[in-house]
Amino acid sequence: MRLQIRNLRKHYAAPVLRGLNLHLDAGAIHAIVGENGAGKTTLLKILSGLTPADSGTVVLDGAPWAAKNPKAAQRAGLSLCSQELSLIDNLSVAENIGLRALPGRLRLDRATLHRRCRELLDRFQLDLAPDQLVGTLNLAERQMVELAKTLNSEARLLLLDEPTSALNDQQARALHAMLQKRANNGVSILYVSHRLNDVLQLCDHVWVLRDGKVVHNAPSEQLTVAEVIRHMSGKEKLAQPAIAAQRHGSVHLSVRNLLTRNMRQPVSLDCHRGEIFGLAGLMGAGRTELLEAIYGLVAHTSGRVELLHADKRIGLTGVNDAVKHGVGMVPESRASQGIFRGLSVAFNATIAQLGRVASRHLLSRRREATAVDALIRRLNVKCEGGDQSIEALSGGNQQKVILARWLHRECSLLLLDEPTRGVDVGAKFAIHDLLRALRDQGVCIVVASSELQELLALCDRIAVMSAGRMISTFERDSFDQEKILEAAFSAHNTTQMA
Amino acid sequence: MKLHSPLITPRRWPDMSRRLLRWLDQYLVMVSLLVIILTFTLAAENFLSYGTLSAILNQLPALTLVTVGMTFVLICGGIDLSVGSVLALSAAVIGVTVAAGFSIPVAALAGVATGAVAGLVNGLLGSYLRLPVFIVTLGMLEAARGFAYLITDSQTVYIGSAIQGLVQPIPWLALTPAFLCALVVVAVAHFVLTATVFGRHIIAVGTNPEAARMSGIDPKLTLLIVLCISGVLAGLAGLMNSAYLGSTDPNAGLGLELAAIAAAVIGGTSLMGGRGSIFSAFIGVLIIAVLQNGLAQIGVSEPFKRVVTGVVIVLAVVLDRWRADRVP
Repeated sequence: MRLQIRNLRKHYAAPVLRGLNLHLDAGAIHAIVGENGAGKTTLLKILSGLTPADSGTVVLDGAPWAAKNPKAAQRAGLSLCSQELSLIDNLSVAENIGLRALPGRLRLDRATLHRRCRELLDRFQLDLAPDQLVGTLNLAERQMVELAKTLNSEARLLLLDEPTSALNDQQARALHAMLQKRANNGVSILYVSHRLNDVLQLCDHVWVLRDGKVVHNAPSEQLTVAEVIRHMSGKEKLAQPAIAAQRHGSVHLSVRNLLTRNMRQPVSLDCHRGEIFGLAGLMGAGRTELLEAIYGLVAHTSGRVELLHADKRIGLTGVNDAVKHGVGMVPESRASQGIFRGLSVAFNATIAQLGRVASRHLLSRRREATAVDALIRRLNVKCEGGDQSIEALSGGNQQKVILARWLHRECSLLLLDEPTRGVDVGAKFAIHDLLRALRDQGVCIVVASSELQELLALCDRIAVMSAGRMISTFERDSFDQEKILEAAFSAHNTTQMA
Repeated sequence: MKLHSPLITPRRWPDMSRRLLRWLDQYLVMVSLLVIILTFTLAAENFLSYGTLSAILNQLPALTLVTVGMTFVLICGGIDLSVGSVLALSAAVIGVTVAAGFSIPVAALAGVATGAVAGLVNGLLGSYLRLPVFIVTLGMLEAARGFAYLITDSQTVYIGSAIQGLVQPIPWLALTPAFLCALVVVAVAHFVLTATVFGRHIIAVGTNPEAARMSGIDPKLTLLIVLCISGVLAGLAGLMNSAYLGSTDPNAGLGLELAAIAAAVIGGTSLMGGRGSIFSAFIGVLIIAVLQNGLAQIGVSEPFKRVVTGVVIVLAVVLDRWRADRVP
């Protein structure tokens, strides 16, 4: 299937795609690469009908086309294998793979289903029983099943989003062989991946995205990994905000060989008072897992987290402990972990430290109102007042209220996971200014962000994680976007070569 | 913007009507109760008499206490299906203790303690073993009822008239000590929920346990305490029930958990957790009681009474949903 995309635009809170042009011939495998937030996933979502484009045209085999919904996209011959797996845990492997067209009229024809499934699994060199429940599989196996499900269709254009993120090299090679065979039969493939060595080996052509636009495209044989990274990061050096490296204070947070069940490698780090410490890395690098481990949301299997107060070392073992000793966290998912829906701004702002608006255990409405009004003014939260429901506020203002929660508590250590995701530009700068002000007051701040520009603008030090490992740390005067990106990709590429 | 508002002539009438609407909205449950009472006053002779009303109120202590506990648990995001059986078990303990020769205060204490233990077991299994509270309390519903039969030998145990002092109307008030006790519990519980740190924690855990945990609140401990409160109140309700009967009936409180849930829901409590009011739940109890008695007085048969009660429960939720959609 031939695909042409002209001037595609999409705007969420901020523009994600700004006039993207791309074309793909029948039987070709093209790669789309770019930093987090370059617009890769959004492009695939638009093509597969999960979200509409604002403007621009998509042409399939010469006819203009717009996917109304995923079903329409499937009928047109497009098939998406997304990062968020869409498997049903309580059905078997075979049932999941064959879900789109289960054999049999009234009664499910299990024999046929299992035979077809086994053929497919064999081609993947996947040692699974067709009747095994998907819920019992590990992440890599699930990803393989998801791929098998995608390849089981008669699609003529495959959209693969990070298909090998959980696979080992052998499994990835098996997948690549199958993709190659499909391509030889005329199926076109758009392949999104961070594993740049794979990309250059498998794909005919590479499209580099940055800020929602194609900034470079060339046949694979004319590119090297280093060149691709250079194009992704942009040639021109970013103008650094004129802030000198902060002279920070003593060590406040000390993490030694910390490991939990959802971290892949033990991690150690030190953060200082009056420092903003950034955690950079690709999607799935383990930044969120590290923050959750420090905060104590997941039990430690080994290692220590300690707060250093004057001459005391306080070991933190769980989240209650952490909050008690002045640690606060702004979670990645505002809706599910951050806000209390349907309750007031005041409730949301004071919940972590009710002691300050109560005497003994009795709440004082007056003190609460005073405290909340002060917070609203300090953070410039746009709302009608403390009594308004938090759901009525915009994403940026909700985020400010969650920050207010920890300001109210007067934390000495703040952990922030994607603090400006889904936040408009104005609120984003306001949040940055606030974090700098807190830093200047001596608060120790750890920020994880997928947006490298944000970290470069905000942090005094940046640590780079890749595939669960702490790769390297950059001081402010040696910030280098290209080197940071290289570090972020490093673990993906070394495992590939190994 | 604020500076200009005095210059604009206030439009009084729409403002008034909006305020009336908001007032109606806030006191919807209360207004419904008054409407129901008014209806029965017009339909039946002598409904609005001192005698009828105090008779209704004096039946209520057990249901009121159990409903208060249930409302706490529902707001905290759980449910306690065991309250009816725990009531029976506590009453059985009281009966057996008295029969063994202990004084009534000692027996009453033993009964309430029984409720506390049942609540503690619910809480430990439900929060610390992470079993679904629905299932744990369903198990307790069966088990507590079974124990009640076991220790009473499935017989009614006579306690005697001494305990009935609790349900003798105070002469100048026409209300019983038991009902006054229930009223005090309602007031204290309402205060705890609306004006204390612990009340905030209950609402936070019921609204979003994950966010509560991130804010340094222990959702397990909160739910454990709330289930214990519910157990204690069910035990106290067992005492009220024994006093009312002057004896212990192992069949007491059958289906009471459903009546309590109905009362809480009529009072606007959400089964999804986070939202509800003790005071409104108490009004819910009154609505159920007035309906039962009023319908009986105008000669409605028992089966039809149940149909009406069912309709009222569903209607209450419909009204509540409508209200939630209209008033953001």
